[in-house]
Amino acid sequence: MNTIRSLVVLALILILCMALICPPASAHRVIVQGRVSEIQVKAYFGGGDAAPMADANVEIYAIKDGQEELYLTGKADADGMFYFAPKIGVSEYRAVVEATGHKGEETVNLAEGAGIMEAEQAEAEKEANLPITGIITGFGYLAGLAGIAMIITARKMKKKYENK
Amino acid sequence: MVHISDGVLDPWLWESGWAITIAILAYTLSKMKTEDVPRLSVITAAVFVASLIHISIGPTSVHFILNGFAGVMLGILAFPCIFVALVLQCFLFGHGGISTIGINAVNMGVPALIAYLIFKTGTRLDIRPETKKKVSLFGAIAGGVGVVLALLLLAAELITTGEELYETTVLVVGTHVPIIVIEAIFTGVLAGFIATVAPELFGKK
Repeated sequence: MNTIRSLVVLALILILCMALICPPASAHRVIVQGRVSEIQVKAYFGGGDAAPMADANVEIYAIKDGQEELYLTGKADADGMFYFAPKIGVSEYRAVVEATGHKGEETVNLAEGAGIMEAEQAEAEKEANLPITGIITGFGYLAGLAGIAMIITARKMKKKYENK
Repeated sequence: MVHISDGVLDPWLWESGWAITIAILAYTLSKMKTEDVPRLSVITAAVFVASLIHISIGPTSVHFILNGFAGVMLGILAFPCIFVALVLQCFLFGHGGISTIGINAVNMGVPALIAYLIFKTGTRLDIRPETKKKVSLFGAIAGGVGVVLALLLLAAELITTGEELYETTVLVVGTHVPIIVIEAIFTGVLAGFIATVAPELFGKK
């Protein structure tokens, strides 16, 4: 009797040990779902403060085999953000954003790294900042234009005096 | 906000914008004298940079225009000033479209000419330190009216693209109220200051 009881206890301990060692949930079925839910479009004005283009009209064109067709239209939210679900089998989209006479566009290609990569983000931020080089270039052009205008008007004056 | 981008307007609108711009440019440039050139360049530089100063208001971002100021300071030469500033802004800053430079110049340049007309009628170009108050007052009116008219022209053009009449006008003018006020004060103060220290700057226009 005693040997049987100790055997049962031993068996129980063994089962318990095995249960502890074995990975849990080994008998469950695993379900993995893949889904791309949305593409994000952000629109804002340049000039340092990056003010969002709130309530801007957004048009999304789906590009497939070089053919472009209007996929959907909508309005950006107060932060200039617009989200849309991609179409099955289409990886390239052109987003056109327009608000009170301002218009900008950007092509998003999911196959080529989905729109804004880090480098592109930095470039966009740089574009949004104050264009110091642009200002200096502009002043240079103005000085040149002033010189040309001076020459032309001076020549006109000279001719007038010669005629007299 | 007053710089219209490419592809927003119907072609007939920006094409006629170019036609009007070229006509006014040809006329005003033919009236230009050598002694006007330095003043024209300096004011153009100011107008060119002014559009970089932004203020974020509500759903949009507004910037200075200084077209009324250009009108007061330059007379009819304000039009070439605005045109040159717009071309530089377009290519260097990406403000507005290339095809719309003409219509944008009309939007800002014609109100500048009207602002000058107001200033000229109001002060009769009698600018001396003694008439400083009058010069400041009409300078301020001209500075404000220039911006308001530019905004109304912009709103009218946007309406042709199918935007709501009332909504667009209120949005465009409403967001620019601070710009209108600041530019009016700026132009008035500056006109008064120049009347005191260097009235000959206004010259014979």
